[in-house]
This record gives sequence, C-alpha cells and structure tokens, in this order.
Amino acid sequence: MTGDEQHIMRAYDRDLEAIQAMIIKMGGLVEDAIMNGTASLVNRDTELAEKVRAADKSVDDLEELINEEAARTIALRAPVSTDLRIILSVIKIAGSLERVGDYAKNIAKRTSVLAEMRPISGSDGTLKRMAREVQTMLKDTLDAFVRRDEALARDVINRDQDVDQMYNALFREFLTFMMEDPRNITACMHLHFIAKNVERMGDLVTNMAEQIVYLTTGSRPDENRPKGDRTAFMDGVD
Amino acid sequence: MVNKVNNMLDDARLKDRTMTGTDIKITARNVQVHYGTSHAIKDLNVDILNNTVTAFIGPSGCGKSTFLRCLNRMNDTIASCRVDGEIKLDSEDIYDKKVDPVQLRAKVGMVFQKPNPFPKSIYDNVAYGPRIHGLARSKADLDDIVEKALRRGAIWDEVKDRLQSPGTGLSGGQQQRLCIARAVATEPEVLLMDEPCSALDPIATAQVEELIDELKQNYSVVIVTHSMQQAARVSQKTAFFHLGNLVEYGETGQIFTNPKDPRTESYISGRIG
Repeated sequence: MTGDEQHIMRAYDRDLEAIQAMIIKMGGLVEDAIMNGTASLVNRDTELAEKVRAADKSVDDLEELINEEAARTIALRAPVSTDLRIILSVIKIAGSLERVGDYAKNIAKRTSVLAEMRPISGSDGTLKRMAREVQTMLKDTLDAFVRRDEALARDVINRDQDVDQMYNALFREFLTFMMEDPRNITACMHLHFIAKNVERMGDLVTNMAEQIVYLTTGSRPDENRPKGDRTAFMDGVD
Repeated sequence: MVNKVNNMLDDARLKDRTMTGTDIKITARNVQVHYGTSHAIKDLNVDILNNTVTAFIGPSGCGKSTFLRCLNRMNDTIASCRVDGEIKLDSEDIYDKKVDPVQLRAKVGMVFQKPNPFPKSIYDNVAYGPRIHGLARSKADLDDIVEKALRRGAIWDEVKDRLQSPGTGLSGGQQQRLCIARAVATEPEVLLMDEPCSALDPIATAQVEELIDELKQNYSVVIVTHSMQQAARVSQKTAFFHLGNLVEYGETGQIFTNPKDPRTESYISGRIG
C-alpha cells in the first residue's frame, strides 16, 4: 500500500499500513451508510433507518482512532515526503468521511419522519441514482487511495458535476410540488434537505479525491474543477 | 491563489523565517575526486549561497565529507587524493596555484565532529588564528577579537571569568562552541561543519543549532549531518549525496515534503534504497 519499497524499520511500515487500513474500513462503513440510508428512505424502512443511525457511532470512533494514530506517528516517527503526505491525507480523508457519515445518518433521521407522511411521487428515482453515483464516487476514491491512482481520483473530481445536476433537477421539482399543493411542503422540505445532503456528500468525496491527487503528486489539483450546483442563483421555477 | 494568501499574510514575523541569501558564494563545476583508483565524487555541480545554511546529507561513504573538505582544500593533505574540476569562492578559483591554502582556510573555517580544542587556555584557543594571521595590532585589539568571537560562539557568558583555564576542561557542548568561536575568530566568509553535533547531548545540540541559525546572518554555513531532522531544522538548502553523486539539491522544505528523485525519497524516509 505504501509503494514498493519498505522502511528499514518494519514497524514503521506496519503503523502506516494499519492507519490506511482504518481509512478503508471507515470508507466501507460510510458506503454502507449511504446505500442503507437511501434504501430506508425509498422503501420507507424505519428499521433500517434506525440501524444506519446506530452504525454512525463506529464511523465516529474510527475517525478518532485515525487521528490518534496519525498524531502518534508524527510524534514518534517524524514522517517526511510521501510518508508525511500519507499522514496529512488520512487525517483530512477521515474528517471528510466522518461528515459524509453524518449526512447519511441525517437522511436516516428524516426517513423516520417521512415514513409517517403521504409519499411524494417521482423524486425517489433521482435521489436513488444520485446516492448511487456518490457511493460509486466514494468507492473509486478509496480504490484510488489504495492504488495511488491519480487518474481515477481526477475522474472522480470530474464526476461531481453529474451529482450537482441531479440536485438542480430535484430542487426545481420540489419547488414545483410545493407550489402545486402546500400540503407537500413539510415532506418536500425534508426531501430537499436529503437531496442537499447527498449533494454535499459529493463535494466531500471530491475533496477526498483532491487529497489523493496531492498524496500521489505532491501538489493540489487546479481550482477550476467543473461545478454544477446552480441553485444559489435560482429565484423560482422558470 | 497562493499569492493572494501571501499578501494577506504580509507580516514581518512570517517573512523573517523565509529570509535567506540569494548571492552565490561558492560555485563548483564538474568536480571529480579520486582517492587512488576509487572515484569518490563524480562530476559534481553546485552553487552554494551566501547567508544560507546548506546541509549535505547522504549515507556513509557517499562523498559528502569529501566534498566538504574540497571547499577549504583539506584534501591537499591526503597524498592519494586528486581533485579535478573547478571550485570558485566569490569567482576566484581556490585550486589556483597562486592561492595559499592557509589563507584560504582563514576565509573558509571548519568545525569538526569531535570538539578538538588545543591544549591551551580558552583565550589562546581563540587567539591562535588571529595571531598567526596577524589580525590584531595590540593586546587590546586581540582581547576585542577574542571577546567578539566567543560572543558569536554563544559561549562568552559561560567562560568570561575563566579565560585562562584550559579549553579542554569545558563540557563537550562548551568545547564545540569554543571550536566554533575559534573558527569565526579569523573572520571567515564560509563556515564548514562536519557533523558538529554528533558527539553532543540534545541540549548542547540545540545550543549549537541555535548558533548555526545566528551564524548564517554573517556567513555561508555548510553542514554535513547524519541527522535528517537536524538538516531539516537548521538548513534552508539541502543537498543529497549518493555513491559520489549529488542526486538532488533544493530548498529544504521541498526536499523533505516532495523530493523529486526516488533515491532521495528512499533515503530521507528511511527506506531501503
């Protein structure tokens, strides 16, 4: 995982491998949270939603453990060069994963409320596709991390605009539903927050992918990545 | 983007730490060193800056000390050693026949791994160089030179009341700072240090490192060290040597966060290269 060459101190390699294995473990849990959170919403499965909420604790614990291990490695091994970039990257990636986990948990929370309401037809499909896209982006990001695959990381960065576009479409849709029938407002507000959560997950996964570009090349990618969230400029349905 | 942030951080405290020289003090071109048949330095080119600490790092036998000794012609004393190529100090070839190595060494001082004070008083240790080079016109003049050198060596306060005691009676760290004071007493322009802290405890090491940082205001300092952390702490430029080659030479922060050559990466991160 750390390249072909080993450290003369083999315990150093073990430390670095352990901390990266924790990221992969954490990433797997967060992927599950995204899929299960969305499935619970689409299937109105409050039991699954409850499980997603409970599982977030492990994600938080892992982040704390990763930060502790990273601090320890800095203090004891004075990492430089690639080793230093690994440590800096795992700290940032763990922070982003924790936030993605929180958004998934928030989806599960809103699912419990939405399950009691009249269903809003039409948006489930887009939400599901959006969540699947983000989950795939996360999976590819973790693969890029393991394989030190800069090209794959850059590909993930470019895919975020698809997520943004799906969010734009949902934003308009929810506005329309709310204008049609004010009784839809509560449910649509919750659904809009869910869509926004998934859109933010996409941004965080993009940040992780950018961090992997830094990890592999030593410099951050250019700022001008494609951005697709236009909702800040929308003033109504037109 | 970075420029914008730099403007925002327009603060003397931040600027201070990035201050280094830009003038070239020593130029080495196509330098080759042989010990008999063994080729110790292979076609080395480097520019060493004034008012800058330059660290030479690399595994044992890589040629870093050999090259350091070329810079004040210490290799002249080794019969089997042959130096080819060109080394210029302020655009003057130091291997020119007209150059007197003793005069050169007054300009390019050296501090060694083990503190090696002369078996003389603290005062005479420092006064030795200025005396043989005739730098003092009177006793008072010499006193001034000795005090100034001991202050630069950051040891004046510890020894001012016992200048006539033997230099060998000081602690290891004090002895090394005395040797640095002795080296700066002849007003050199370049200070070469070959592992100056490897025989010292961490406190004495920190004192010498602090001193090195101060010395760069007046000199070009070149330090050979086996401690990568020391190179990272004290130097602004780092040169990595491997098997007689200068593999990579660059800004110390860049060498330690993003080295360009895989051999540098392997060495500084403690991997098998």
